[in-house]
Amino acid sequence: MSHALTFEWADGRTARVDARPDETVVEAAERESVALPFGCLTGACATCTARLLDGHVAYRRPPRGLKPDQREAGYVLACVAEPRSDCRLRVGVDVHRELVDNPWK
Amino acid sequence: MSDADNPATDADAHAHHDHHGHEGPGYVTPQAAIEESEPEEVAYVIGLYVGTDVDAPDFLAVVDTDPDSSTYGQIIDRVEMPNRGDELHHFGWNACSSSCHVEGLERQHLIVPGQRSSRIHVVDTADRRDPELVKVIEPEEVFEHDLSAPHTVHCIPDGKILISMLGDANGELPGGFLELNDDFEVEGRWDTPGDIDMNYDYWYQPRHNVMISSEWAAPKTYYPGFDLEDVEAGKYGRQLHIWDWEAGTVEQTIDLGEEGMIPLEVRFLHSPVSTHGFVGAALSSNVFHFYEDGGEWHADKAIDVEPREHDDWDMPVPGLVTDLLVSMDDRYLFFSNWLHGDVRMYDVSDPANPRLADRIWAGGLFGPRNPIEGERDVYGGPQMLQLSLDGERLYWTTSLFSTWDNQFYPEEGEQGSVMLKADVNPRKGTMALDQEFLVDFGDLPDGPARAHEIRWPDGDCTSDVWL
Ligand code: FES
Repeated sequence: MSHALTFEWADGRTARVDARPDETVVEAAERESVALPFGCLTGACATCTARLLDGHVAYRRPPRGLKPDQREAGYVLACVAEPRSDCRLRVGVDVHRELVDNPWK
Repeated sequence: MSDADNPATDADAHAHHDHHGHEGPGYVTPQAAIEESEPEEVAYVIGLYVGTDVDAPDFLAVVDTDPDSSTYGQIIDRVEMPNRGDELHHFGWNACSSSCHVEGLERQHLIVPGQRSSRIHVVDTADRRDPELVKVIEPEEVFEHDLSAPHTVHCIPDGKILISMLGDANGELPGGFLELNDDFEVEGRWDTPGDIDMNYDYWYQPRHNVMISSEWAAPKTYYPGFDLEDVEAGKYGRQLHIWDWEAGTVEQTIDLGEEGMIPLEVRFLHSPVSTHGFVGAALSSNVFHFYEDGGEWHADKAIDVEPREHDDWDMPVPGLVTDLLVSMDDRYLFFSNWLHGDVRMYDVSDPANPRLADRIWAGGLFGPRNPIEGERDVYGGPQMLQLSLDGERLYWTTSLFSTWDNQFYPEEGEQGSVMLKADVNPRKGTMALDQEFLVDFGDLPDGPARAHEIRWPDGDCTSDVWL
């Protein structure tokens, strides 16, 4: 069964794509030519971090790039997350930026 | 005396292939590189869009560095990679002066890995101003050898290429080394898995059968950004590994201690008889001098950059020594303090006792926002360095790593990097910022880009090795 994904960017832009069964969020977006940030595509680098606002996902591979508290706070790695329901996600590079402050400032 | 003994009398002295009086790429000695090289006319510079919302792949930029050219200081060509998300970072030549005896081999192909994607690109620079992507090794082929996150590329004699890899296929430890053959195919692993845990940069000195490698962290640790908790948990490196170069085995490990946190770039002196070199410890902001004595290797702190108070910071700001290099004549050491915003020049005639010769401030937290009047703002501090072979022109870019830039200099991603240049006077030991040279990576058709490592077509102070 496919699931509807709604993406929301910080600048107010939105997009909707359908994720096929067994597709990750990034794969579905790429197939429909919606550009999301990504790097390693293996769950290690967190470049693809999104915030899950609604719905749920299952991980194809462990999301190593996120710490447990970040996962608990609702952040997901879009490159290894397969939607298990319709999902609404905040996406874009500023979502990742929320994870990593300047630790000295 | 035959012509071969005296290339200066050779009628073809400046022909493309045989102007050094030997068969292969590069120069016979470091001194020959200084004397025989022409001033660099183009620079190859990594440009990237990873870590921004710009929907474009990373690229290799060709920058005009010929002051007599009408496009001096401009990007005159870009080789776009086929995929987004690579984070192109460090790159290297297929051949250097270590192969100058190898007939038929040329310094013509750049090996350009993606640090995040683990994809490896091969760019042909036969036409220096219009290079061309000719081959891509996909990440799956790299993961097969349980490696990821390619970093330093060195050619090794006889056409092979060695790449330090920071993680296993999952972005965890241990890292290792990947070897490519002269057709740019993955040959396999060079090391034995588990010989080292963390990996980063490396340099070899074949006459002494030695290689030294340094440590950053597991990719999954440094990729997302810099977290002090990871430092406290011991997830960042502080060791140097001394290898038997022929056997590919670790013979000695030196723990640099608290003062040697995150040892990054490793630079041996260029003279092949030397057993001295330097490594910068980024987080501790120190430069270590390493050397061999009585069959043992040692590393002593030689330069200490003091942290500085900043009104906006809770803690004193470390310099963060992110890159360093040694001039081809082995007389000067240059390094960057990425957070402070200065690039320093030390006289290292006595490598154990470096003497500060000069420094330039540009951008960073303490340098001028506008180092060149009338030109754009500079955000990040000096970062990746490259020096001309004759030691008279020092260039640098300002981006470190996309996620780390975003933490410390968010404007770097939004406004793009710059590339700057200093004219160096090696006789007096001074530097002066070139007011005519600013390459603006913020002003590109797809949007602002970051700029990272720099290489010359005719060899580098940060990669050429002599047998
Ligand atoms: S792209 Fe690296 S974790 Fe998703």
